[in-house]
Amino acid sequence: MLMAIGARTLQFFEDTGQFARFGSQALGCSVRCLFRSHAYGLVSTQINAIGVRSVPVIMITGAFVGMTLAIQAYDQLASMGMEEHLGVLINLSVVKELGPVLAAVMLAGRIGGALTAELGTMNVTEQIDAIRSMGTDPVRYLVVPRVMACLLLTPVLIIYADLLGVLGGAMVSFAHLGINGRAYWDFSAHGVAMWDLGIGVIKGFFFGGAIATVSCYKGFTCKEGAHGVGQACTEAFVLSFISILVLDFGLAVAAKAIYQSFWPIRSIVG
Amino acid sequence: MISQSESKSSQETPVLEIKGLVKKFGQRTVLKNISLCFAKGKTTAIIGPSGCGKTVLIKHLICLLRPSTGEVLFKGQRIDELDESALAPIRTRIGFLFQAGALFDSLTVRENILFPVRQHQKGPAFKDADDLVRNKLTMVGLDGFQDYYPANLSGGQQKRVALARAIALDPEVILYDEPTTGLDPIRSDIINELILKLQRELAVTSVVVTHDMKSAYKIADRIIMLHDGNVIVDGDADHVKNHTHPIVQQFIHGRLSEEDLASLNVSSF
Ligand SMILES: Nc1ncnc2c1ncn2[C@@H]1O[C@H](COP(=O)(O)OP(=O)(O)O)[C@@H](O)[C@H]1O
Ligand SMILES: [Mg+2]
Repeated sequence: MLMAIGARTLQFFEDTGQFARFGSQALGCSVRCLFRSHAYGLVSTQINAIGVRSVPVIMITGAFVGMTLAIQAYDQLASMGMEEHLGVLINLSVVKELGPVLAAVMLAGRIGGALTAELGTMNVTEQIDAIRSMGTDPVRYLVVPRVMACLLLTPVLIIYADLLGVLGGAMVSFAHLGINGRAYWDFSAHGVAMWDLGIGVIKGFFFGGAIATVSCYKGFTCKEGAHGVGQACTEAFVLSFISILVLDFGLAVAAKAIYQSFWPIRSIVG
Repeated sequence: MISQSESKSSQETPVLEIKGLVKKFGQRTVLKNISLCFAKGKTTAIIGPSGCGKTVLIKHLICLLRPSTGEVLFKGQRIDELDESALAPIRTRIGFLFQAGALFDSLTVRENILFPVRQHQKGPAFKDADDLVRNKLTMVGLDGFQDYYPANLSGGQQKRVALARAIALDPEVILYDEPTTGLDPIRSDIINELILKLQRELAVTSVVVTHDMKSAYKIADRIIMLHDGNVIVDGDADHVKNHTHPIVQQFIHGRLSEEDLASLNVSSF
């Protein structure tokens, strides 16, 4: 029994170490590739595969989040006679928290699953070994373009989600709840700062990096056979999802600390 | 080991050398203390029953697997301790044919063959690339299949494309993992002739894993048989044919032993 726990613990640390090595190699290589133009061909293929086709689903996610928020928050605000503040609540929630997190979760399922399945299949059919056997680094050839594409795309896709969230919220507020448009936007403009939007987008870099690194790692270390690939995909999604939540919390704490030390006056007044 | 290889007589350093190779997967020892030299310009066939570790052995020659203990040398230089980036220039000089082909299924035949070229040479003009692809595909008898995807080829065709890819960089050494398995007899013979031709004309050093005895007799200067993680025969075709070890005779004549027959329970039918 103790032996088994010990072995599991050792295995856990070994896996974590291996992942840390893989991640640092992939991210380091990605940063270096930013300065080498010949890598861009591969990256743009991935951007097409990953990004362009995710736009509709991300927009739908964003729009429904905004719309739902409007419906649900209205009653509480109205009971305090503050329904004109609805815009602040919706837009702040969408831009800072729900847009980035839900978009990232959507991407973890949509892109992460595909990346893990693709690389996992390449692994079990020895295509990754074939790349090594020809003297090319599979991390550089396969992982870096995908990580780069996710790093660049996730913030952009989050902006799409934000945009549609804001529009969806506004649409329901005006058409369904009959809120005065002028007051809605005035309060929103006052309550939502560039800083809030920026936080959401910066979260996107971290989420994108985490999704791509985790998914590629799971693909590279996937076990033999169709079952192995399926299992790797599940594990990749769960791990990406947890990393998104943990990163979100960490970034919220960090952002708050930075905000309070750099904008002390605003935080007292606003 | 039963006989010394005749290649020891040449004074040159062997192209590839394995010293005291042991390979374990977990608790299981697949290769037990193997030492071999592969001389320049010679073709060596490695035979043995399925699962005896032939693929594992040949993968050590380009460090796709690393030894548990022991050494691998390329032209006298120890390579099993090099990291992946230091291995790259050596790997470009060695072609490797995977048992199942391992073609990139998202790339066409043409792009598969050009993959190593694009990775290591500063882009040849487009016309050169076309010539190179046609040249390599003609060698394996598949000219005209440039724009096919691997999924649309038969298993044997995939293997021949994989062979074309393995020779795309004109390597000095080619490692073949079961090049003729899954091919019809005529196509097998095309591959045999190709291996011989590469050896004669370009002095390529080849290591061929196979259990096709006809092919082994035809192409090999030297035949090595693996059994239970050890080398049990090492010599030329005649040496193998006349070997008295019962396991060797059973293998080369494709006969079952008494115990194997018994375990099939043939008598009960
Ligand atoms: N990556 C691996 N992990 C664990 N066992 C392996 C691995 N690769 C090969 N083996 C084992 O090593 C043995 C020899 O395999 P292999 O070299 O593929 O046989 P063959 O002679 O048919 O090519 C097999 O029993 C296989 O189960
Ligand atoms: Mg094999």
